[in-house]
Amino acid sequence: MMKKIFLLSVFAVFFLCNAASEQILRVVTSADFPPYEYHEGDKIVGIDIDILREVLRRGNCKMVVEDMKFDSIIAAVQTGKGDIAASAITITEDRKKMVDFSIPYITAKQVIIVPENSKVQGVSDLKGLRIGVQHGTTGDSYVTEKIGEPQRFSDASMAVAALNRNKLDVVVLDNDPAMVHVAKNPQLKILEKPLTFEEYAFAVPKGRQELLKMINDGLTGMHLDKTIVEIVDKYNERTQKSVDSAQEDAASGFKADFYTNFVKNERWRYLVDGFIVTISVAFSSVILGVLIGFVVAIIRSTADQTGKFKIADFVCRVYLTVIRGTPVVLQLLIIYFVVFGSVDVDKIMVAILAFGINSGAYVAEIIRSGIMSIDRGQMEAGRSLGLNYSQTMGMVILPQALKNVLPALGNEFIVLLKETSVCGFIALQDLTKGGDIIRSQTYNAFQPLIAVALVYLVMVVIFSKLLEILEKRLKKNE
Amino acid sequence: MKVLQIDDLSKSFRGHEVLKNMSLAVEKGEVIAVIGPSGSGKTTLLRCAAMLENADGGSINIGGIPVLANGVYAAKNVLKQARGKCGMVFQGFNLFPHMSVLKNIIDAPVHVAGVPPKDAVAEAMRLLEKMELADHAEAYPCELSGGQQQRVAIARALALHPEILFFDEPTSALDPELTQGVLQVIRALAEENMTMIIVTHEMDFAEMVADRIIFMADGVVVEDGPAAQIIHNPANERTKAFIAGLKAVC
Repeated sequence: MMKKIFLLSVFAVFFLCNAASEQILRVVTSADFPPYEYHEGDKIVGIDIDILREVLRRGNCKMVVEDMKFDSIIAAVQTGKGDIAASAITITEDRKKMVDFSIPYITAKQVIIVPENSKVQGVSDLKGLRIGVQHGTTGDSYVTEKIGEPQRFSDASMAVAALNRNKLDVVVLDNDPAMVHVAKNPQLKILEKPLTFEEYAFAVPKGRQELLKMINDGLTGMHLDKTIVEIVDKYNERTQKSVDSAQEDAASGFKADFYTNFVKNERWRYLVDGFIVTISVAFSSVILGVLIGFVVAIIRSTADQTGKFKIADFVCRVYLTVIRGTPVVLQLLIIYFVVFGSVDVDKIMVAILAFGINSGAYVAEIIRSGIMSIDRGQMEAGRSLGLNYSQTMGMVILPQALKNVLPALGNEFIVLLKETSVCGFIALQDLTKGGDIIRSQTYNAFQPLIAVALVYLVMVVIFSKLLEILEKRLKKNE
Repeated sequence: MKVLQIDDLSKSFRGHEVLKNMSLAVEKGEVIAVIGPSGSGKTTLLRCAAMLENADGGSINIGGIPVLANGVYAAKNVLKQARGKCGMVFQGFNLFPHMSVLKNIIDAPVHVAGVPPKDAVAEAMRLLEKMELADHAEAYPCELSGGQQQRVAIARALALHPEILFFDEPTSALDPELTQGVLQVIRALAEENMTMIIVTHEMDFAEMVADRIIFMADGVVVEDGPAAQIIHNPANERTKAFIAGLKAVC
């Protein structure tokens, strides 16, 4: 009897907790767009994030925020990778086809930045000019539709840097970040007349009526009790502050820039954390790649030499053709959004899988070329001594083949290490992405880019040195 | 007792018939030299007998084991057993360059025959002693001369205690001054009654070491007889022409 009561009470407690516990929603954002969303320390903050957090609090839910490229965000919501997109998304007809939008929470404007001495007066002068935009933004689609092909940059500070180096005539940006950029670069100005007015809203997957209603109810309440205005004011103050400090920075030299980019707010952490991600992705995928490469190379060369494994050989050929015939970025995106589209999986694992599978194809051909470079007399000698095919392969052919292809394998690892710089496409914060984040915070393109490049360079130099030592050791018996 | 019996062996490469129903029997302790113009099928014969090449038809019996019967090969385990009875010495030595001399010799006994490593090393050292290469046990093949490498290859083949040893032009890849050491080793083996088939162009050596000489041309045995008779008194016109041609070169 006691036991039964105990069990019942356990059930009751369990049930109650479950009912009371808040639902956790996955929010996707592109945190390179202050003041709407950006990194501050190790957190993602901004107007959109604060508004959404309050909305969800009122709906008794919690959220986890995930950072990714802006052009992946709609896809992420569409495939259910995220429950809500909060990333200063303007409502457009095209986007409406893919996701459902909440009611707007903010009205913003796209403005035109030009050099101080520019002759451009307004929208009517833009025809035929070199226009820079942030890829996938409404500025991008407006210019593309109404004016002509723009040059698309993955983040705003790159576009501004291009404008500064006279590679562009104008840059179209959202008003708030534009103000900070112009403050930082006194030789630039914002044209008085904005390009467009637009409304920002949250995006949710199609058919999530309950979720949409919860968000709209929250937003309506927040419009009424002025919470939204308060949040925007809070950030406007911050924007003003960063405009002020940007003006100070603009006057300062390399040392102060260095301080802003790497020391202030412990920004060097982005590089260190990114470095760790890059190294672990590269290292794990090289191991996976070598494993796959080995198996494929052995199947392929066994099929060539003995005519066995016909079906496996065919599968390997298809694998090699597909993997070597498509860019690694697409493979990464396909694995993340399609293969694991509806499964929640660690992004580091996705990256390791994508780069491992990619590298395996190249490693396979490298090892196969090594196997083929070994005189067939070696195989015959092994067989004549009674070693079977796999013994001869393992003890005689492969050790020699690997030694021959070591430089090529090292090269493949170097290529792989650098290829991981596209991890940012699935919002993995690798070294390159770390540099991107710093850039989006400091509005400074030069130093973060150089710093990231230097880290890659140092990694490659150290690795090449280790490889050289290994090669020398193996050369001993030649 | 016959160590090797080959009947009606045939083999084609891409429609070209290299062996045409050829037969050969080798008694225990016999040393046979196979001579003939290039393209006559000597090497193919040897490679089929050593199971490095699959024949198209005929029968092969090695040390009482039916390897090939009327064009059909025996089961894998039977083939493996037969492999243990023959050893092969290649024209290009084919030592394993990434292994020391000692490792080259003990690898197969340890991994194939399951000989305890200690015993395998002792046996390898005995063989190297015989080849006058005991000081080089720890050397790598690239540190040895061609003649030394070929002697290591012979030791490697002997380490498995084969009943028959095949030599495919064992001195062709060597500088003339290095051939003597290898030929001496083969002679010594002949004196120990090792059964051997040697494909060679060294007529003097063939006469000295072989009990029988087989002259092959166009995939068949043209003439088969005692060494001295084939070299000094060949019956067949083609054999005569071949021997005369060799003498003219010398």
